[in-house]
Amino acid sequence: MLLDYDRLGALRWLLGGISLAVALFLLLPILLIVALSFGSSQWLQFPPPGWTLRWYRELFADPGWLDAVLASLKVASIVTVLSVLLGLLAAFGLVRGRFRGREVLRALFLTPMVLPVVVLAVALYALFLRLHLNGTLAGFVIAHLVIALPFALLSIGNALERFDKAIEDAAVLCGASPWEARLRVTLPGIRLGLFAAAIFSFLASWDEVVLAIFMASPDLQTLPVRVWGALRQDLSPVIAAASALLVAFTAVLMLLAALFRRSKEP
Amino acid sequence: MTPPFLSIRGIRKAYGDAVAVEAVSLDIARGEFVTFLGPSGSGKSTTLYVIAGLLEPSAGDVLLDGRSLLAVPSHRRNIGMVFQRYTLFPHLTVAENVAFPLRVRRRPEAEVQAKVKAMLELVRLEPYRDRLPARLSGGQQQRVALARALAYDPPVLLMDEPLSALDKTLREEIQVEIRRIHRETGVTILYVTHDQEEALRLSDRIALFNHGRIEQVGSGRDLYDASRTRFAAGFIGNSNFLPGRIAASGGGRATIIWPDGSRIEGVPLQGQEGGGEAMLMVRPERMRLERAAPGRSGLPGVVVDRTFLGDTMHYTVRTPWNQELAVRSPLAEAGDAEFGFGDAVHVAWDAEQTRLFPGG
Amino acid sequence: MVMARSDSTIPIPPRIRRPMAGFGLVLPGLGLLLLFFVLPVLALLLRSVLEPQPGLGNYAEFFGSTTYLKVFLNTFTVAGLVTAVTLALGFPVAWFLAIAPRRWSALLFGIVVLSMWTNLLARTYAWMVLLQRTGLINRTLINLGIISEPLALTNNLVGVTIGMTYIMLPFMILPLHAAIRTIDPAIFQAASLCGASRGQSLRRVFLPLVAPGIAAGALMVFVMSLGYFVTPSLLGGTANMMLAELIAQLVQSLLNWGLAGAAALVLLVVTLALYAVQIRWFGFGRTAG
Repeated sequence: MLLDYDRLGALRWLLGGISLAVALFLLLPILLIVALSFGSSQWLQFPPPGWTLRWYRELFADPGWLDAVLASLKVASIVTVLSVLLGLLAAFGLVRGRFRGREVLRALFLTPMVLPVVVLAVALYALFLRLHLNGTLAGFVIAHLVIALPFALLSIGNALERFDKAIEDAAVLCGASPWEARLRVTLPGIRLGLFAAAIFSFLASWDEVVLAIFMASPDLQTLPVRVWGALRQDLSPVIAAASALLVAFTAVLMLLAALFRRSKEP
Repeated sequence: MTPPFLSIRGIRKAYGDAVAVEAVSLDIARGEFVTFLGPSGSGKSTTLYVIAGLLEPSAGDVLLDGRSLLAVPSHRRNIGMVFQRYTLFPHLTVAENVAFPLRVRRRPEAEVQAKVKAMLELVRLEPYRDRLPARLSGGQQQRVALARALAYDPPVLLMDEPLSALDKTLREEIQVEIRRIHRETGVTILYVTHDQEEALRLSDRIALFNHGRIEQVGSGRDLYDASRTRFAAGFIGNSNFLPGRIAASGGGRATIIWPDGSRIEGVPLQGQEGGGEAMLMVRPERMRLERAAPGRSGLPGVVVDRTFLGDTMHYTVRTPWNQELAVRSPLAEAGDAEFGFGDAVHVAWDAEQTRLFPGG
Repeated sequence: MVMARSDSTIPIPPRIRRPMAGFGLVLPGLGLLLLFFVLPVLALLLRSVLEPQPGLGNYAEFFGSTTYLKVFLNTFTVAGLVTAVTLALGFPVAWFLAIAPRRWSALLFGIVVLSMWTNLLARTYAWMVLLQRTGLINRTLINLGIISEPLALTNNLVGVTIGMTYIMLPFMILPLHAAIRTIDPAIFQAASLCGASRGQSLRRVFLPLVAPGIAAGALMVFVMSLGYFVTPSLLGGTANMMLAELIAQLVQSLLNWGLAGAAALVLLVVTLALYAVQIRWFGFGRTAG
């Protein structure tokens, strides 16, 4: 009865009410920011006295912001490619391999995801000071790769585990060499996992704040770093415009992912 | 003497201390349909996987046309295989699945297309050529798997319980298909199953596996009428096992005696000597019931159960020493004697039809 | 739809050719992890006992100073508060999500997931705007006559709690939802037939079955809150600084690597200890992302 929607009675209103409140709680701030980005008030008055595209124009006119977006894109793209590649190799090794310590290794690979990022950020900052990698593209990529790899590994590993190895064996018996079988049969078979790995890796890098703060230099900043810097000064609506774009970006990516998943599943 | 087409020699496969397959040897002629039959874990699939190259044996060899297969990696053995699990490539259509082995061998496109068409016609699935595997039923998937396995004209086709996942009617339909394809293509088939009826229906010869070894090889008839071990007798068909004692023996025949004094004479010996405990095996349909009367031969008993099975009547008879016998009587003519619950009967059979195994 | 079956009676043949099969594939990723994760972190932790002098001086300073201790305690307080609030709010939502008709649950699920994936800074910025003195919340309250002076809702515990709750809610709702989904509704029908009232079913059947999910979600939110950097830095004040921001400041402003390493070690130890507790009690069944 407790898990039967139709038989809950009064409890249904309680649960539904709280859910509605929470849903609004989660949704409204995001909508507010998008609305404010079009509002004409510099002090973020709501409801705004007028509507304008001024903040977006400022945003796009500012080379600092554009550079930050480009930097984010560059870093995220490279990280995605490397993360999926390394994740694919590691997934094959961990799922199909037969060596001792597999479970330990698997847990180790997932640790960057579960430990506080600030510790990694500070540690890498120290290391990169020695290696002169702070403020470089390579430094950014390495740092983000460390936290993106667990996501890729999880997605690809799951997909690989669910893929029936007998299908790969059948390909071998059909005459394909083991690597040819993996390339032509297994890889297409796990493409959902590869796609998910790519999306998660990209977003992990694109949205990453803490590492980026430490890796950044005045010449090289990703978008989150730029927003972070701006936030500590004031709450200008230009940030609202940037935030609204970020929200739109996420929403579009999620939509794409959902559509892709819907079209691939039979 | 011409060397056998496919020769399995002394295959042994051990996983550490656990031995899955031991001393398995078998010669198979070209075009034969041989079934590996046995219960789960008896080593039949393991042997098949060794031949396919998916497992490396701990000892032994497999020769095809006189050449060792073991030196050849799996993807070059040119052997066809159909698995129990559905192994069609999920991202390719039916036609592309069948074309795959030919594309991998870099055959010219015209040849590929012709062969795909021929194979799909062979398994009668031409109209489905552009479907994805997810939209096929289980039976259809296995037929496509069969077409794919035969597309490159392999000398040997391995099949590992391909029909176990299907329901009975479908299974029987595809069994007929497999027999037809075997006749039309003449390919040598090695078939693994735990279903003895399937084995009897499909094969020229059956190799009966038990605990990693081959207990007996022969036609279905051989295994049924001339079972060499107790396991073989029990695995194929229905059987009655009667423990008894050898009272006397001579001239290749023995007299068996039971606790209540009943005896049967002229039972053919199969290598046993002298007296002692013995286990008799008689098929239920070889037994017949007669009304109990003094002086009758056979074992006395009481009918404790009877079941009408359409073409036969199945009786369960309990002897005075609480042995239960299954007796199957054909209902050929009206007026044949029928027995009811509690009837006192004698169970008789032709002594020649008895198989004798070591007792205990 | 027909699916491939993993029949347990057929052994999947392992290709036992080499004892370390597949290890080579793992090496690149492993190398990356070792070089740029394990070693740097270990180096940092080492500095805590080597700088400025070898010994446990940094730890003495950390636990001896009221400032640092306050940060430590504050971190736990916030984490605990946030966990409690997200649990109180998240549990009903997860429950509703698990049983509501498709239309509502899909919509709700979409909102939760969208919230989770939306940029962290954008979300935190939203609350900075809402909670500021001239922000929407204060002005609405003043307009409604509930208060006459704007409340200080940011740069303090209130702001941090609200902001962190906002961020952490999806991380509580999703695992809880998954846990509730595993319960077969028929169990409650059986309980009712056995004579249990609604309340008894709740207490004796529902809660015990959901307890592992609650513990997992709560632990995850607590651990994440402990180490969080962005939201507490933006919505909290210096008075209620948390560990993550402290570590960052020690490095960036004060260049005190030894003390930073000590604080990092403390944070790591607590985090790992909590994970160990979770694994000991609930096994490896993490519902991550």
